[in-house]
Amino acid sequence: MREKTISLDRKFGHMVRTATQSHIDLKSCYTPKDCEQLSYEADLGDPGEYPFTRGLYPDMYRDRLWLKSFIVSYSTPEETNAAFRQYIANGMTDLRLLADLPTQSGIDPDHPSAWNSMMCGGVATYALNVYEKMLQGLPLENVVYELAHCGISNFIYFYSLLVTLMENRGLDVTQLRGNSINDPVRAKLVYACPDFPTHIARRVCLDHIEYSVRHTPKWRPFAPNGVDPCQAGMDAVRELGGCLAVGTAICQDLLERGISVDDYGAMVFSLDAESDFFETIAKFRAARKMWAKIAREKLGAKTKRATQLKIGIRTSGLSLQSQKPLNNAARVTLQILSCILGGVNSLDASSIDEAVGLPSYEARLFNLDTQHIITHEANVPLVADPLGGSYYLEWLTSKLEKEVNRYLDEVEARGGIFACLESGWLNEVMEANRLKVQREKAEGKRLIVGVNAFQGEGEEGPINKAIQDVAYKVPSVALREERVREVKEFKESRNQQALKRSLKEIYRATKEGRNVTRPIIEAAKTGATLGEVTGVIRLGYGIPYDPFEQIETPALVGQLVKESE
Amino acid sequence: MKEERKIRVLIAKVGCDIHERGALTLLHRFRDAGMEVIYTGRYQSPEGVANAAVAEDVDVIALSDHTGSMRIIAAAVLEALERLEATDIHILAGGLISPEDAEVLEGMGVSGNYGPGTPLDLIVDHVRRLVK
Repeated sequence: MREKTISLDRKFGHMVRTATQSHIDLKSCYTPKDCEQLSYEADLGDPGEYPFTRGLYPDMYRDRLWLKSFIVSYSTPEETNAAFRQYIANGMTDLRLLADLPTQSGIDPDHPSAWNSMMCGGVATYALNVYEKMLQGLPLENVVYELAHCGISNFIYFYSLLVTLMENRGLDVTQLRGNSINDPVRAKLVYACPDFPTHIARRVCLDHIEYSVRHTPKWRPFAPNGVDPCQAGMDAVRELGGCLAVGTAICQDLLERGISVDDYGAMVFSLDAESDFFETIAKFRAARKMWAKIAREKLGAKTKRATQLKIGIRTSGLSLQSQKPLNNAARVTLQILSCILGGVNSLDASSIDEAVGLPSYEARLFNLDTQHIITHEANVPLVADPLGGSYYLEWLTSKLEKEVNRYLDEVEARGGIFACLESGWLNEVMEANRLKVQREKAEGKRLIVGVNAFQGEGEEGPINKAIQDVAYKVPSVALREERVREVKEFKESRNQQALKRSLKEIYRATKEGRNVTRPIIEAAKTGATLGEVTGVIRLGYGIPYDPFEQIETPALVGQLVKESE
Repeated sequence: MKEERKIRVLIAKVGCDIHERGALTLLHRFRDAGMEVIYTGRYQSPEGVANAAVAEDVDVIALSDHTGSMRIIAAAVLEALERLEATDIHILAGGLISPEDAEVLEGMGVSGNYGPGTPLDLIVDHVRRLVK
């Protein structure tokens, strides 16, 4: 009897797509004909020259490498502080701060709705005392901080804490560097953030920007965010279009406050590095080019700085999988590479264990080391915009620009980005694309290795299992109880008169339409919490103190409102 | 012969977890599978979820959470259901759930405990089996 031979499928693992991740149809080859309409000067320009398609600086990374960052925010301020120290020692240059989910929603740990997600995703940074602990011994000057929270209440409040820390340490606040996301569209579109309705969020966003432009010129108080809309379903065209539209709308609002785009300076966008390699690179190039044009042609920028768009990145968390997590190393490495080839300014790379839990220390070192390897062993950043001139990439950059412009026209025709948010249209667009992608995955038209293709057989091996086991675990009930006790004691320990006075000033400034930032800084010094500041601003607008409408207005706040009437 | 009643599912998120994609994905998949589905939206309390489940007369509550707190959340929802004498409602969980969490949750009577990327048909079949 003859032995049975196994059969071999020569088509196994073949491509299933002919379009990019964002449904841009592709030919199998691009030639000079595809780039015929492009002019080098008008559409590309040398690195460092308008419209900055090829990068913001003539020498690009030779002059200065991108900032290496990630969000560091564990359950306790002590753990977070220790982690920052370790990462700084390993080459981190940009400190991204976050808070736990209740804080990001605008409430304190003693709020009943905080319990179920307390200390998850970050520290419950309810007041200055926690910031002091979390940033103890860390520099406040000559360092870049980024605030990556959800709610608009958070940006103005945590910016105020950073200013307060500097003032309390006798440091020069003009040296405060970094940025706040502070994007009111993202806060509602992606998070339905309960802290403020959008009209309040928009005013607080502008207050933060205005104060920062005048007092902390090195701080970028606004960075339209495409990462989260993209993770929630938008494709690259609508991600970038959204950022450009929000950036334009807020700059127009600022004009009404007497702040020109030249006063404002360089813009920052927070964009997503997705898995589609060339589309991601093209997106970053198109983003710089499009903002430069908008700043000059629509917003009247006269200075070079005001036409420059800095790009801060977070690599796609959604692309990471809990199945065979070792594969995430390949995904993240390609995403990091696309960022560097796209000339970004700062990079927050997701970790290989992120689909399993909060990133572990070793997984993050892997991210930093990947960037060091790309720099020192692969020599990628030696030359600016090394893919510039590629027929495919130049065509794709230009194609994205056209598609984004078409989307911007549609947004404009619907009354602008805020009207599109309020009407629910943005949510519809986001959902439609999300469902389209979901269907493609179910139908095998979009393959995710280890998830809907190439799953392999049997149990996962020891390396994958180890990755699944190392992820950071959430805090226990006992730790949560301790935090609630701590915040209650803290609230009792404050000078109630000073606290009331400072909160009253926030209330009055809110009602009288004055900028609330300085009053919040003063209130932070008296120990006012995030929940209190948020609640008092809400009361100033005549809506209930508690965003969740579960708790009563605290007695002291009730008094100050009465006294102000 | 009585017409077969459609399976009724309440998809719920408790607390301040913002990760909604799993819940929304299931919402559409359950509907496509012919079920009646209600989604609570985010930022709910355990009592609110239990009340909604009773008011909507659902067969199953599908809890979604990506903070790693499913043990705490499921326990609170179960307690609220007990107070309403509605423990006949099945609870299914999904999201960021560790193997240890899954074991504890199974012990509490919470089934499924699916992670991200679970084939959706598997979850649909699970709901059908639960309700049968």
